[in-house]
Amino acid sequence: MVASSRNVHPKILKQFQHLLGSIQLAVPLLVAIIGVLVGATFYESQVGSPTVQNLIYKSHWFGALMFLLAVNLSVSALSRYPWRGPRKIGFALTHFGLVVLIAGSAAVIHISTEGMLLVRTDQGANRLVRVEGELLDFVGPEGQEQQFNLFIKPDNTVSPSQAGDLELLRYGENVITTTNFVEQGEVANSAVKLQLQSDRMNQTLERWLAVAPASYSEVSVGPATLQVQQAQSEAELKAMLAAPPKAGDIPKFGTLLLDSGKTIDVEQSQGQLIELPGGADMVITQVWPDFRLNSDNRPETASEQFNNPVLQVALRDGEKEARWFVFAEGGFEPVKTTVAGEPLDAKALGLANLSYEVQPQPLEDYFRVVIAPDGSRFYAANSSKGFKSGPFEAGEAVTPGWADFRISLADSLDHAVINREVVEVPEDEGLQGEPALLVQTPDGSQQWLPWGEATTLSDADGDYYASFSAQMLELPFGVKLEDFIVERNEGSESVAMWTSQIRLDDAQAGPQESRRVWMNHPTWYQGWKIAQASWNPGDLNQSTLQVKREPWWVTGLTWLGSLMVVVGTAVIFYGRSAMKNLKAALPEEKDEAVSAEAAAVPSAQAKGLDAPLSV
Amino acid sequence: MVRAIAMKFLKFLIGFTLGLMLLVLPLSQFQAGPLAPLQSLAVQIDGRKKPLDTVALETVQKLHGSASYKQADGSKLDYLQTYFALAFNDRDWNNEPFLLFSYRPLKEEVGFNPEQKYFSFQELLSSKSLSQVINRAHAREIAGEDLFRLEREALSIEDRATLLYRTVGDNSLPLVPHPSDAKGTWVTIENAAELYPPETAADLMALEQQVQQGYRFGAAHLDYVGQLGGKLKQSLAELSPMVYPSDATLQREVFYNHFHPFGKAWMIFGLGFLVMLASLWFKPLELYGSAIGLAAAGLTTEAYGFILRMQIADRPPVTNMYESVIWVSFGVIALALIFELTSDKARYYLLSASPVAVVCLLLADRLPVVLDPSIAPLVPVLRDNFWLSIHVPTITLGYAAFALAMGLGHVSLGHYLFANPANPTVKKRLQTLSQFNYRTLQVGVLLLTTGVILGGIWAHFSWGRFWGWDPKETWALIALLCYLVPLHGRLVGWIGNFGINVAAVVSFNAVLMAWYGVNFVLGTGLHSYGFGTGDSQLIVAAVVVADLAIVALTALRHRSRKPSGQPLIIEEVTLSEEAIQAMASEAQ
Repeated sequence: MVASSRNVHPKILKQFQHLLGSIQLAVPLLVAIIGVLVGATFYESQVGSPTVQNLIYKSHWFGALMFLLAVNLSVSALSRYPWRGPRKIGFALTHFGLVVLIAGSAAVIHISTEGMLLVRTDQGANRLVRVEGELLDFVGPEGQEQQFNLFIKPDNTVSPSQAGDLELLRYGENVITTTNFVEQGEVANSAVKLQLQSDRMNQTLERWLAVAPASYSEVSVGPATLQVQQAQSEAELKAMLAAPPKAGDIPKFGTLLLDSGKTIDVEQSQGQLIELPGGADMVITQVWPDFRLNSDNRPETASEQFNNPVLQVALRDGEKEARWFVFAEGGFEPVKTTVAGEPLDAKALGLANLSYEVQPQPLEDYFRVVIAPDGSRFYAANSSKGFKSGPFEAGEAVTPGWADFRISLADSLDHAVINREVVEVPEDEGLQGEPALLVQTPDGSQQWLPWGEATTLSDADGDYYASFSAQMLELPFGVKLEDFIVERNEGSESVAMWTSQIRLDDAQAGPQESRRVWMNHPTWYQGWKIAQASWNPGDLNQSTLQVKREPWWVTGLTWLGSLMVVVGTAVIFYGRSAMKNLKAALPEEKDEAVSAEAAAVPSAQAKGLDAPLSV
Repeated sequence: MVRAIAMKFLKFLIGFTLGLMLLVLPLSQFQAGPLAPLQSLAVQIDGRKKPLDTVALETVQKLHGSASYKQADGSKLDYLQTYFALAFNDRDWNNEPFLLFSYRPLKEEVGFNPEQKYFSFQELLSSKSLSQVINRAHAREIAGEDLFRLEREALSIEDRATLLYRTVGDNSLPLVPHPSDAKGTWVTIENAAELYPPETAADLMALEQQVQQGYRFGAAHLDYVGQLGGKLKQSLAELSPMVYPSDATLQREVFYNHFHPFGKAWMIFGLGFLVMLASLWFKPLELYGSAIGLAAAGLTTEAYGFILRMQIADRPPVTNMYESVIWVSFGVIALALIFELTSDKARYYLLSASPVAVVCLLLADRLPVVLDPSIAPLVPVLRDNFWLSIHVPTITLGYAAFALAMGLGHVSLGHYLFANPANPTVKKRLQTLSQFNYRTLQVGVLLLTTGVILGGIWAHFSWGRFWGWDPKETWALIALLCYLVPLHGRLVGWIGNFGINVAAVVSFNAVLMAWYGVNFVLGTGLHSYGFGTGDSQLIVAAVVVADLAIVALTALRHRSRKPSGQPLIIEEVTLSEEAIQAMASEAQ
């Protein structure tokens, strides 16, 4: 028994080895690879490259297929040892070369690090590289941090589907955080849910307002503002329900306050001569509602909003002339510049405490819910059609005068607590959400984990602090885009070349280095290759660079394999005839060579055909 | 001996000269017309400076789908005459049936006569149903949806109508050079005052008006118009002699347009094919040398064409689909000639190569809408002359070798289909043909392997990885595997001569897919700069299916002839198995 099994065993092994290196295996294997590749390219035109890369080219089964091919190639080349004569040398070179090439290509795909680095001319150096794929990072109740690289499949399932204790159920492309209020609090806090309805615009809006938190006490809805206010006393209630001052009552451009207590309406007196004590005078020359200095250090206004009002006055006292900048915000002293003569004596001119004040304009369109001290509700509404106020009861609609909008009380709470919920909505509903991951914790509860936002997932055994975000990689140096140069084809808008002028900031290496990177011309820095990847035609301050690190031996493998395959193929096909010609050139060896050839090749097989048959 | 060689050379020379004679006919192509000075006016358009002649050719080809215009009275205008007729607005172009409209389903959809090929601007403009289709197409385009073929065709009709509208009475060509910057933007004569003193601009404007006036006076005054044109060109060139292209440069391109090398090469190859066929049938005539001479003449013509194109474009010869198709025709003949010269009167290499080359050149010449022959600036990623000039030509030469094998395969399959392979003469010929095929496949495998690997090395620099399974890469690999499988299958005797010929024909479809299909059928991936917009897919698919049907028919016929229960080619199978046995024992 034992003896016979010993006899069978090597035979089977030998047969198996023979099969592994045989053409009988190679041909079906190649046919299978062809089939997979054809399918993959057509599938790719449907679902896009990243999916196919992940599902097919980077999959284990495809790797296994390639591995089997490599085994087949190796065994077939080994079985022809010793490699004597041009054909066998060529055969070994080609087949081993292919093995090296497969190994090298696999290493390129699996070992190298690659990502995109977004740099801008108007921002500092960036060292965070965006790597393809998403990252799940969490700390479980045990306090151990875990990280997982995720890939989102086209059907929105996630690979892997299990990350530690967490089950990754699904990826949602459009998930929004909704906010509402629930009656759970111990502290009194009024909240109302308003419904705005317009038949003409066929629109219905619902908005929650709450006294606390403050950010929910006022909400803008288009040009109108919704407010809720809590009155602590009857007087306050009255003030809150009073009609607003008329728009013209408060000077739009503010007032200038002199030492004498005199106020000057800036808008009214701009450009006019304002007389000062001692025969001096002053003119308001300019006003900047939202003052800033531009890149030439000249004053300009950033907007028409009165965010940072500044005015300029020209002063004259005999021969003395000066120009002052007066600030409304921040409590700065005026900036004084002497234009001619001696500096002015501010005190003598009654300008020692010159100040500039701008009061905000009253709201024009608002709807204010006021909670009386006894808890009853009132409203005050203002619009271009006028002001109105009164009690605000459930079931009664108020028409504030904005088109045909009616406002009614949809819900009200007295001890409101804010409650945020993450829900998935279809994209065509017009609600702009963000991607999120649906996660199930060990106790079976499911929660959405919004993209790029650290979130606490509560579980019976304790909380998970998790974040679902882009996979980033930090470079050991920073890259700053100094300039982005776009060359166009002459006389046209089409692009001839774009070039990134970058600066490499490396604290360890010392001085900064400037480099230029453009298509087909990458730069290398400390083993990292930086290449121009793409650009944004709409924003020429921005450039996307591809950053890659590949071990030198990986590059070496692919190049070595390439050389072996090309040389090997040439040797298989033409090595023998080249040798023949070479020998023919040496007269004394000629006869021998020809007879050797004749013996090796059946005479019926003419040149060309002889090649494969004698392999 | 010397005499025989002299005879051979004389015959070659006869063929070569005959081929070159075809080039110079008709002689009128070398006679400069009266408007010749206008032809070489430089225009800065679509990212480069080109002579007005090229602008005229490209415009007329786009509008009319052909380089000449046959008028209602039967007389023919060449592209330059047509262009001047348009630019000087010498007739009612609104009602001239000039615009190409060839897509039948769209004509039927909008209620036009499907037999009519050319339509007037007025007809197109007044068709409500056509404008509906166009509007729908625009709406879908804005919504980011994929367009149906009907809509894409409607948009191309709209483009043509817009181009006609722009061209008629056109004086918006940037003819005035930038005063100092070689790459600076040129302006029209009307706007010359933006770059030059007002009096200079006024002089130019006056000259331009004189040219227009003169043209309106009619054919008798064309010489005068030509003189004025010459004066205009001289004044323009003198404005900025450093920026204005040299006369030699402009004339070179004008010559290239008129010489039309690739349009003539196919005729020479066609004649060479006929002479080679005659040499096969009438052996006593000994026409072989002349056939080779003709092929060499055609190849010389193409080489000259490529040199001109490279000089004009200042870049390697193969950068787009049009150039690759021409390059394959060049490669096919070049390889066939090398094989012919290294074997003894093989004949079949050239016989198989010529039809392939003729088809390639005809497609390139007759389908300017699908294979755009215009010379345009390259996209940034291709701007690397070193890699562009070694990777692409190598790959496409590989395609050419496989195209030659495909041609040889067809000749062999023709024998299987129409002759009796059992007949000793036929059998011998088939044996020879299969050898030829095998040698050609070797060259193809070596070139394509090298080309793919060179592409990998370029990709390593340009995209940062050697291999990334981009569709174009993948399909080049698939094509290679499609040849390696039958070549290996032959080693174990799974297929024989017949099989290798079938493989040479069938596997070429993988080359077709890698070459054309990735760009026109799949339309994804990093090689998108080559992607096409034309709609040739159905025609190509029909040709492929028809060809496969012929292969299947031949296979059926071959099977029915084969004695039952025996392998296809007994002799070879036994031989190769013996060889393998010997191998195996040697390995132990």
